[in-house]
Amino acid sequence: MSTSNPQAVTLNVNGVPYPVAIDTSRTLSTVLRNELGLTGTKEGCDDCECGACMVLLDGRPINSCSYLAVQTQGREVTTVEGLASQDDLAPLQRNILAAGGVQCGFCTPGMLMSATALLDENPTPTEEEIRIGLSGNLCRCTGYARILDSVIQTSVEINS
Amino acid sequence: MAVTNLPEFIRADGPDKVTGSGRYTADMTLTGQLVAKFKYGEVSHGRITKLDVEAARAIPGVFAVLTAADVPDVRYSYGLADRTLFATDIIRFEGEIVAAVAAIDADVAQQALDAIVLEVDVLEPITDLHAAIADGSPLVHEAIDTYEVTGDTPHSGNIATHSSISMGDAEAAMATADTVVTSRYLADASHATPIEPRAVIAQWEGDKVTVWTSTQVPFDARAGVCETLELPTSKVRIIAPHLGGGFGGKCGAHFEPHIAALARAAKRPVKLVFSRWEEFIAPDRRREAMIIDVTTGVDADGKIVARTGEILLDNGAYMADSSFFAQAAAMHVAGPYVIPAVHIDAKLVYTNHQPSGSVRAPTAPQGCWAIESHTDEIAKAIGMDALEFRRKNIVTSGSTGCVGQTYDEIGLDQCLDMAAASAGWGQDLPDGEALGISVGWWPSFAAPAGAYAKLHGDGTVQVITGASECGTGSVMTLRMLAADEIGIDETAVELIYQDTGAAPAGPGSSGSQTLFNHGRAVEKASRMVADQVKELAAAQLEANVSDIVLDNGTASVAGSPAISIPIVELAGASETGEILGSAAADAIEWPEITGSTCLGEQGFSSWLAPQFSCHVARVRVDADTGVTRVLEVHAVHDSGTILNPVAAHGQVEGGVMMGVGQALTEGTRYDDQGNQLNAGLLEYKLQTIADAPKITTQFVEIFTDNAGPRGAKGLAEAPNVATCGAVNNAITNATGVRIRQLPMTAERVWEAINDSEAAS
Repeated sequence: MSTSNPQAVTLNVNGVPYPVAIDTSRTLSTVLRNELGLTGTKEGCDDCECGACMVLLDGRPINSCSYLAVQTQGREVTTVEGLASQDDLAPLQRNILAAGGVQCGFCTPGMLMSATALLDENPTPTEEEIRIGLSGNLCRCTGYARILDSVIQTSVEINS
Repeated sequence: MAVTNLPEFIRADGPDKVTGSGRYTADMTLTGQLVAKFKYGEVSHGRITKLDVEAARAIPGVFAVLTAADVPDVRYSYGLADRTLFATDIIRFEGEIVAAVAAIDADVAQQALDAIVLEVDVLEPITDLHAAIADGSPLVHEAIDTYEVTGDTPHSGNIATHSSISMGDAEAAMATADTVVTSRYLADASHATPIEPRAVIAQWEGDKVTVWTSTQVPFDARAGVCETLELPTSKVRIIAPHLGGGFGGKCGAHFEPHIAALARAAKRPVKLVFSRWEEFIAPDRRREAMIIDVTTGVDADGKIVARTGEILLDNGAYMADSSFFAQAAAMHVAGPYVIPAVHIDAKLVYTNHQPSGSVRAPTAPQGCWAIESHTDEIAKAIGMDALEFRRKNIVTSGSTGCVGQTYDEIGLDQCLDMAAASAGWGQDLPDGEALGISVGWWPSFAAPAGAYAKLHGDGTVQVITGASECGTGSVMTLRMLAADEIGIDETAVELIYQDTGAAPAGPGSSGSQTLFNHGRAVEKASRMVADQVKELAAAQLEANVSDIVLDNGTASVAGSPAISIPIVELAGASETGEILGSAAADAIEWPEITGSTCLGEQGFSSWLAPQFSCHVARVRVDADTGVTRVLEVHAVHDSGTILNPVAAHGQVEGGVMMGVGQALTEGTRYDDQGNQLNAGLLEYKLQTIADAPKITTQFVEIFTDNAGPRGAKGLAEAPNVATCGAVNNAITNATGVRIRQLPMTAERVWEAINDSEAAS
């Protein structure tokens, strides 16, 4: 059987504390998906290249495929499951659907996390700033135009 | 997730996809599930001298290790049955599967792979297309003459299929030309690269297996499992959870049979999830490399009088579904032009590369890129504007194209003019910037498809379809069709799809067929429901059935809207409490052609409901570095009637973006042994949002008879055809040099500029 070195840690994800015993070598994305059942975070390359696994760590976007789960102890992780309230989609989620920025949807969670971080830090980004902010998230379906539109629309709503 | 603030009408899978609650195959876990891993051949060409899996089988936690000895001895592939699930004696490409293991976890599975003893005599890889078809070349398949052949698939030696497009006497016509232009273009292989790496889970219950898999084509996947494991159709159920993109790469049966066989041997559910490296090297679907030689003769007025060409396509190690590629490539090198005499010969050539197979508009981006670059070379040679030359030579309504097919009402001329106007053709641009133009075409495909429709007592409708949702939004359009037929709101229609255990068979999401074929079946099944509703309404309202109108949830009498009854009341009042419809799409006749295909007729010469497009690209080239930025793409498409504008625009934008990637950065590089050097997303560079051009999309909407529902043609592949050619022509217009190899990387552009400066 596999050698393991489990360590008891408490992960704070979307405001919920999860006490877990995990091997120190486990990445955040695998723990989110397998131990916590939060499969909204996707794995597309395991190499920090596609951005499908993007989550927020204390509000900053990180590729969770390349971040050790134990390193997040004492910090706040936000995943795509944490964006909507019980009844309502977040404005960004609603706008990306309305704009037609979702096709296969596999890049969508990571895209939403990067865009959320961007708008939290800079509620009035220029188009160029949005392009830079989302350049770590690959989408193969949409050609990006409608994703860009939805971030612009959300920025307008936030500031009105 | 139940949410209350949705936009009015959106894709039904949208809330799942934006909240993370939607399950893709890799997101699923079954009780007792094991982890699968594959042992690959590791060399591109070799003879297996020893394969011993006993040590791997003995490792605690290993539940099954399979090789060719453990599965039926079945050869498969379309056209030429050249492949087995596992390598037998010869390894023919680096991603060839030699063995498969199922173990308690990923670490143990890896230990098992490491414990497999594989000894191989490495053979010289066959990678050069010209050398491969030369006399005396070693063969990729020494026993090719014993393989079962289906259809018109002429083959010999390393030529997997030999096909042609031929009309008139091209040689004689060429001799009459005033100007003759000859070009050679090379295209590297590229990849579908869906963001979701594929995943497969299989579970047996008794003698039945259920396979959850990231397939675009559940019924083809079922057929593949049944064929290779020798199982009856009734014993195999394929379910596709949400699918994270495919672009052709997830067509066919891939690893479903391996995982089903592992799960049977292990007596446990087994799950496979590909790494990104595996997603690059193992599937038998990648875009084929090509060598294109073409010669065109034009008369003094600038009209094309003849075209000849020779095309070699890299088939890789196995046929997969590529038997039609030679003929398809020939059609693209002929192009959507009026050419009175044409002869184009195409050979699909076996090599020790990864097998080629359908990727979004197979053969078209490369073939179109070559012929549209060549077209600009012709225009330049005779001193004619590139737009004007195309206007003079493209096919229009009533004209006859390269295989002698006479077209009904088509809109290529409008595409050309609208794209040129949108881009401001002829305007002065800053230094280093220029426009380039390209036209393209692609057929629609008719295939059998069925659908069920049920109107429930509560007024909602359930449509059960063999369609698949690759991301295109076609399933959203199927809801619109059902709603329109039955006269209810679209949001009251639910789709059941991607489950072979529930739906009638169909082509799934391949060949731009979802709406074209499944749509016709859904429309017809829904109409059967509507007809029954009308009969019930006529009885209730004491009117003629033919006078009943269904709209807005109400059945009313034409001309007397006050005489009406809610559809929900009629549904509940039916004998069984629901109203049922089931239908198969009607067969469609393919158009007649008068030109001939001398050999290798693979159903790709006569084009049903052909789609046309024109793309104009605006680029900026940095001459010091060779870096090309595509700033704008103006895309105009004739895909018949557009039923779902949001989805249609999404297809064009995504297809153009894929084309930009193929134009500039996406190309497979190999080492001298035929192994991929850039099988990762850092090295194989997709376009990002920072690279994305402004894409302006317009449609020439022509109601097309003998086509999809409401006069629609296909659409998902067509936008991926013309962009590369437009980009190349723009690069030439910006720099004065012609790039002859795809992708047109910064290095290649820089070299061409440098060579040209050195020469002058």
